[in-house]
Amino acid sequence: MTTKTEAASRRSPATIRRLFRAAQLELRMLALLALLSLALSLISPYFFTLSNILNLMDQSVITGIVAIGQTFVILTAGIDLSVGSLTGATGIVFGLALAELPLPIAIIVAVLTGGLAGFVNGFIITKGRVAAFIVTLGMMSIGRSMAYVLSGANSITQLPESLGNLASSTILGLPTNFVMLVILYAMAWYYLTFAKGGRTIYAIGSNVEAARTAGLRVDFYSILVYVISGALSAVAAVFLAARILSIDPIAATGLELDTIAAVVIGGASLFGGRGTVLGTFMGVFIMVLIRNGLNLLNVNPYWQGTAIGSIIVAAVLLERFLSARAGIRRLEPEDA
Amino acid sequence: MTATATVESGPEFALEARDIWKAFERTQALSGAALALRPGEIHALVGANGAGKSTLSRIVSGHLSADRGEIQLFGAPAGFTSARDAIRAGVTMVMQETSLAPDLSVLENIYLPEFSAPGRLRWKDLASRAAALLDQFGQRGRLPLRAVLRDLSASQRQMVEILKALATNAKVIIFDEPTASFSPNEVDRLFDVMRLLVQQGKALVFVSHRLEEIFEITDRITVFREGRVVANATSTTEMRPADLVRLMVGREIADIYAHGAAGRGARSSGAPVLEVDHLASPPRVRDVSFKVAEGEILGLAGLVGAGRSECVEALFGLRRIESGDIRLAGASYRPRAPTDAVRAGVGFIPEDRRRQGLVQDFTVRENLLLAHLGRRRGLGLGDDEQRVRITQLLEDLSLSPRILDDSILTLSGGMQQKVVLARWILMSPKLLILDEPTRGVDIGTRSTVYAMIRRLAQQGMGVLLVSSDFEEVIGVSDRIVVMSDGADVTSIPSGLIDVEKLAMFAAPRSSAEATHFVLEDLVRRFGGVAYWIFVEGERLYCFDAVTASDAPNIGFSRGSFPEITCTKIPEVLRQRPRRFLSEPAGASLLTPLRGHRGHDLGHIGLTLPPDGALPYPSVVERIIRAGPATAAMTSAGGA
Repeated sequence: MTTKTEAASRRSPATIRRLFRAAQLELRMLALLALLSLALSLISPYFFTLSNILNLMDQSVITGIVAIGQTFVILTAGIDLSVGSLTGATGIVFGLALAELPLPIAIIVAVLTGGLAGFVNGFIITKGRVAAFIVTLGMMSIGRSMAYVLSGANSITQLPESLGNLASSTILGLPTNFVMLVILYAMAWYYLTFAKGGRTIYAIGSNVEAARTAGLRVDFYSILVYVISGALSAVAAVFLAARILSIDPIAATGLELDTIAAVVIGGASLFGGRGTVLGTFMGVFIMVLIRNGLNLLNVNPYWQGTAIGSIIVAAVLLERFLSARAGIRRLEPEDA
Repeated sequence: MTATATVESGPEFALEARDIWKAFERTQALSGAALALRPGEIHALVGANGAGKSTLSRIVSGHLSADRGEIQLFGAPAGFTSARDAIRAGVTMVMQETSLAPDLSVLENIYLPEFSAPGRLRWKDLASRAAALLDQFGQRGRLPLRAVLRDLSASQRQMVEILKALATNAKVIIFDEPTASFSPNEVDRLFDVMRLLVQQGKALVFVSHRLEEIFEITDRITVFREGRVVANATSTTEMRPADLVRLMVGREIADIYAHGAAGRGARSSGAPVLEVDHLASPPRVRDVSFKVAEGEILGLAGLVGAGRSECVEALFGLRRIESGDIRLAGASYRPRAPTDAVRAGVGFIPEDRRRQGLVQDFTVRENLLLAHLGRRRGLGLGDDEQRVRITQLLEDLSLSPRILDDSILTLSGGMQQKVVLARWILMSPKLLILDEPTRGVDIGTRSTVYAMIRRLAQQGMGVLLVSSDFEEVIGVSDRIVVMSDGADVTSIPSGLIDVEKLAMFAAPRSSAEATHFVLEDLVRRFGGVAYWIFVEGERLYCFDAVTASDAPNIGFSRGSFPEITCTKIPEVLRQRPRRFLSEPAGASLLTPLRGHRGHDLGHIGLTLPPDGALPYPSVVERIIRAGPATAAMTSAGGA
């Protein structure tokens, strides 16, 4: 027990401490990122060159965008396995629309398609009470199949120059697509941290009964997260098309696993209620860095999967270990 | 008086439910239940477990819908289809098993219902409203608004649940066992708030198993038995506790604590089963020492946050033990995990039986054999050998053997608790630890549970009972160890203590700090020894004492409870004059101490060496009054 004056004089450090405590997961992730970068720059002189850094940013965009949606879904204790194939399918829809329509309209068409597929996911999961794993597994299969059907199993090339600008142009020296990614993350962070909807999403994942008895719109938000996830898959498809100026029906295969890995590395709980997009953002970067590092080190591509898989599990294990130790301190009441 | 006038000019009933029927699958929960609630009253809803009071509460607050029946709110028909409708209409419920989001902050949980309203969130606005709410409830500084809920204690969470209901500005508030996790002081505070709400013309429903609370706070009582109303809105003053119990269970229950004259304290001389010496398990358990003898029921009492639960959790291997020496039946014992504890012969019935005690997807039989799995080495389940004993045990617990293959979820709270109890009896442990064994359990089942505990002790088992219900601790235990702020304060035979003195022993440093400060102040100014005591008949209870280096020996110290004749200052204790009285040991002055609601909180005493100069009694009295003692005592001794 401290007296009032003592408490007041210590207020600012206490606030900072509280901020640190709230963000300790993110801070640890940041430390891990820094450590990885340091190691890679020591091993490979190429790592810290401008072109490689731009390359890293570029590579983080697709996974990064889809991982936002995956974070929303996982926060409600759901999972979305369909994001990879939806990115593929909406990419094809986008390519077909581009042949007929101007670029902005085509983007809207693609995003609406993704959102619609997400709505179907969310509606069946929420209203039909089917496990998210099953529903999105079904949608994963349907999405990939539609990508082949709509494209006739052919790649779509000859995309307009203006689309390429999305990937090749820069804003303040940074790639446009990376800037967009950062903006999307900032928006998602604000929404999840301060908006009613965002806090409702946390409440649903934390204790769905509490959310229901408080009169929150549980069904609406449970569906919404899948709509967001589907729509962001389409946004990712647009950026993917812009980057390689070609749309392939097998594009983004396995993306769902990368995004789930990024979210989990970022500290989210698959049981819902815990996690932040900031964590996810760093999770994405850790994934990209590891892949980049393995390439720089010329690791045999066949071995890369083993390396990445082990590193993911090790990272999560380390995080659990660290947070379990931090948990002892967390039990102390703050103001008592 | 204007408030009363407007209330009287409105409809007679704030909420009226008539002829409510509700069935769950095979069981008929309500058969024509009714409830008539007047504005500005506290209405008790009483009944044994499964009587239907929770079901009715859930129906009128929109969590469930009735099969048929009529509900009117202020004279207008109301049939809520969701909790949100009910909250909007001004009916809200404080849930029994807390329904909060553990990952959100306290602030967010309090205002969770507002998250569905249109418009943006204004966090600063919410924070200032929450602060005002905390002030009104006297919770400022006790409830960290920004803390994440999962880090709070059970009673703090219950407080959040209550604040959440208050924040909706409801006209009708249903409190479903709000005090189950509360210490007497917290109950007092809650009652203050309830009285405040009633003055504002709100109608409150109070569901509780604690009869003394019902008689203290409520105006009228509706009693349920098996889904029917057996007493409709009877005035509380017209009912006696015995009548109420008979109405609830349909028969007489004599002594619910089941201790005959023979049982009590008679067996505490057995060989020690458990010896705990300076146990520390940070952050809550700092320094605890006590012993449990064979056949003894030892009550571990203390307020919420005193570290009782944490202490027994450490003893069961659920928390890391940092230091201390523990012996179980003479052998060194230091469990790292519950498996170690079970193999060593320790049984544990946790506080939160839904979360820690039962596997929800298992049948009754599987739940019974759960601990058995942990003790058994090898592949098989080995439940054949247990079958005979299970049958016997169910008979003892007055449970039908037909329930064995039912899902545990179909049982009522009291029956679930019996199953958990039975599980550990099957293991025949040397030591059985019970953490809040009757929380949310009705009076009929409680007496069965108490009788079982007593019988187990008579068979030679050591029983360690943790309870926030002071009456229960005193009624069930042979001896009581009082904990405060993670340390043991005193160890006292239960026959020598009552609820009020227990509350004073249990006062945490934070709220007794002011008294302690006064004692220190007195000693600093005048030397000698200053103490906070309570004298009852020929016995003295010392809650705190501060001694200077030249202090005379007064014959008692903090935590002791000697007879007056065994102390060195018997005369002053007996006469309690308003002046210094000299005895061979020294000159003493006792000044009475009262709480803000006039409670007798005992005396502050000062004993100075026999030959020194004495201050004026009025000076001493002024120092005691000026100190923050009285203010602080309101929270320390409110029971």
